[in-house]
Amino acid sequence: MESKTRPAVIGLVALWLVVFGVLPILLLLGASVLTQDPAHFVRLPLSLDAYRQLLEPAYLQVMLRSLKLALITVALCLLVGYPFAWFTARLPAGWKTTILVLLMIPFWTNSLVRTYAIRTLLGTQGLLNKALLALGVIDAPLQLIYTDLAVVLGLFYLMLPFMILPLYANLDKFDYRLVEAGRDLGAGFARIFVKIVWPLSLPGVFAGCILVFVPTMGLFYVATLLGGARQLLVGNLIQQQFLNARNWPAGSATSVVLILLMALMLAAYRLLLRRAATARGPQ
Amino acid sequence: MNIGKTLFGAALLLLTASPAMAAEKVYVYNWTEYIPQAVIDDFTKETGIEVVYTTYDSNETMYAKVKLAQQEGYDVVVPSTYFVSKMSREGLLQGLDHSQLPNARGLDAKMLDKPFDRGNVYSVPFMWGSTGIGVNAKEIDPATVTSWKDLWNPAYKGKVLLQDDLREVFHMALKLQGRSSNTTDPKEIEAAYGLLKELMPNVLLFNSDSPRLPYLAGEVSIGMIWNGEAWMAAEENEDIRYIYPKEGANLWVDSFVIPKSARNVKNGHAFINYMLKAEVAAQCVAQNGYATTVLAALPLLDEKVRTSPTIFPPPETVAAGEFQLDVGDALATYQRYWELLRAGN
Amino acid sequence: MKGLRLLFFCGVFCYLYLPIVILVGNAFNLNRYGLRWDGFTGKWFVAMWNNPGLMEAARHSLVIAFAAASLATAIGALAAIAFTRYRFPGRRLLQGTMMTLMMAPDIILAIALLVLFVALGIALGFWSLLLAHITFCLPFAVVTIAARLEGFDPHLLDAARDLGASEGRLLWRVVLPLLRPALISSWLLSFTLSLDDVIVSSFVTGPAYDVLPLKIFSMVKVGVKPEVNALATIMVGLSLILVILSQLFHKEKNTP
Repeated sequence: MESKTRPAVIGLVALWLVVFGVLPILLLLGASVLTQDPAHFVRLPLSLDAYRQLLEPAYLQVMLRSLKLALITVALCLLVGYPFAWFTARLPAGWKTTILVLLMIPFWTNSLVRTYAIRTLLGTQGLLNKALLALGVIDAPLQLIYTDLAVVLGLFYLMLPFMILPLYANLDKFDYRLVEAGRDLGAGFARIFVKIVWPLSLPGVFAGCILVFVPTMGLFYVATLLGGARQLLVGNLIQQQFLNARNWPAGSATSVVLILLMALMLAAYRLLLRRAATARGPQ
Repeated sequence: MNIGKTLFGAALLLLTASPAMAAEKVYVYNWTEYIPQAVIDDFTKETGIEVVYTTYDSNETMYAKVKLAQQEGYDVVVPSTYFVSKMSREGLLQGLDHSQLPNARGLDAKMLDKPFDRGNVYSVPFMWGSTGIGVNAKEIDPATVTSWKDLWNPAYKGKVLLQDDLREVFHMALKLQGRSSNTTDPKEIEAAYGLLKELMPNVLLFNSDSPRLPYLAGEVSIGMIWNGEAWMAAEENEDIRYIYPKEGANLWVDSFVIPKSARNVKNGHAFINYMLKAEVAAQCVAQNGYATTVLAALPLLDEKVRTSPTIFPPPETVAAGEFQLDVGDALATYQRYWELLRAGN
Repeated sequence: MKGLRLLFFCGVFCYLYLPIVILVGNAFNLNRYGLRWDGFTGKWFVAMWNNPGLMEAARHSLVIAFAAASLATAIGALAAIAFTRYRFPGRRLLQGTMMTLMMAPDIILAIALLVLFVALGIALGFWSLLLAHITFCLPFAVVTIAARLEGFDPHLLDAARDLGASEGRLLWRVVLPLLRPALISSWLLSFTLSLDDVIVSSFVTGPAYDVLPLKIFSMVKVGVKPEVNALATIMVGLSLILVILSQLFHKEKNTP
């Protein structure tokens, strides 16, 4: 009396994920090894030109620049997110919820609108410059917008919750008695942190870093609104190749590189988790 | 669970309440800041046709979008100069029905029957203008700026704006090297790229959405600008000056076309025809500072507008300038060096 | 230490909220460029209301978010049931695909779907946009719903089956009602994700279907637009309501 419900459910889910999950990625891979075609989008013959082009110094430079901006963003998020998560985890339960909800409210607000808000803050005639001028701290407006700093501040603003949440999930489970034990044994704050807290929080740190790092490189609109001629993210490159130069193989190849980067980080993450598990294993 | 139901009900209401009146529409895809909002509103008031208006900042972006939207496409698009021939050659455009465009009679003959569309089968010219040098007189003495070469002055580090448009940027370098801005010779394009690379330390940003804004905000003090944008900037702050470089400005004509994928062809014609009305064209000139092809609009303009050399360049300037032409497959070469330029700085 | 903590929280929240406060303030500021306070006005809201392009894009965005959230939640519920209740060949592979969809940066998803739509000859517009939005909301819906499913008491379902309920009836009469809080959370999350999306939409929609984030993007690229401030204020209000709602349901979930 096996009903038809079960195969129908499985079939539908599988169909959806194959058509909209697997197939597009395969097509992307396919497009990256084809040749650019002015009239259509891609054509045969197969070629690795798109990848070869990515290895040219100019493109490597964009990649490196984008990597640099993303890494600075990750570092900044970690620097602010770690203490934030730690402090929050140590609060009484009611306060925890309040702090987390306060953190999530801006996150629920349109990210484009928030980027635009940052722009009004950092502009040459923006509020920050106005305030500093009025206070007499500076006597000519600072060039804040169209700089690396502006882009990093914008990315940091959008990505901070993605760092805090996994860190918080990890630190919330942290057994505070370990710190007390360490203190009883005469260890100082720095030693306790380096020897106990940090190693145990590594999975959270890593999860946060992955969640911030990879998407950051794709957020082209942040670079468009806050950056200048020099602030290009990989996302801008991909957008340019698809929606301006119409070089689909190059755009696809750029994305494949991004996918590989993501896969690499996930593999490293799994390795870390396994190591942590085996380290804790025999007791 | 009442909240859930209420929410669901409210949302449903909202969706069904959205006007299903199937109003007549026309989908217009145009350059940013090219037609005053008031003109569009008036068009809707007069004809009852709602304008769905979206904008682009370069011909390449427009072209990529039109290529992608081959089923439910735009009704009116405004490509510059040679993009008309490129698009018609690739079968993206449909022939215009001139009987539906009575206002297109009596346009400036200098802008008609051009090589990019002989007999104006596919296009009607709307505005024409130039790309020259914009200077903030508060920062730089305009008298010292006469040539594209001045943008390379090391004193202007991080102060220069370039259009986010490859042909325009290459035009500048090619002119400085004494070449035609329509060259298809890869060597010449590469040499121009080499020259542009030297300019990059000076460049703060690329902007062809609304280049006047960074000038007005004091973020850049010199660079490329369209004459219309310079006109609009000067209306707000007279320190922003427009200079025709001695090597010759880059000239262009923007034309209305109707893509093959258009769904409201009749409304598209109605929109084009409306834009060519003398009063409407005059309003566009006064507001946006580009020269019109509608000769009947000229007498309607204020003295100040009609005699502005920024909007209507003297004939010798026009003669010295160069119109962009289709470079065929060489465009890919341009595009490649353009990407290198933007990426590798 | 306490003082330091308070100072730290204040600093972070200042940075997170200051830009939003400025936006909301400027929405009521008579000064067009928001350079100084010239007095209170509601005219930007009127201007926004009278901007047909903006309002149509807003309507489109709400329609897409509503439809995508509903469908993503429906398909997500089925997927969550399939992944937690059924064992079938290829399950891990499908689960892996879903996780990849969740982790992949939006830009990858955006162009992969664009290539798919072009390859399949699907016109860029309402349908392509809807399919894309369901796709990127789906993993979040599945995770939310699966978390609730895993907390179920299996005896309850066994009891129902012992009473002779078919699988379909079991899902409809027992599992679905129990899932309600999770379904609502998933719907709200999907709705927000859909409304927030810039990247995917900018690739997969066509001329016929402009959505709000794209409209806002093209507006703010050309400087300060007070109508956008007004709109942003409304969106901040809307997201506040959504946060409160999701908190309410969260409470309900924890205290059944």
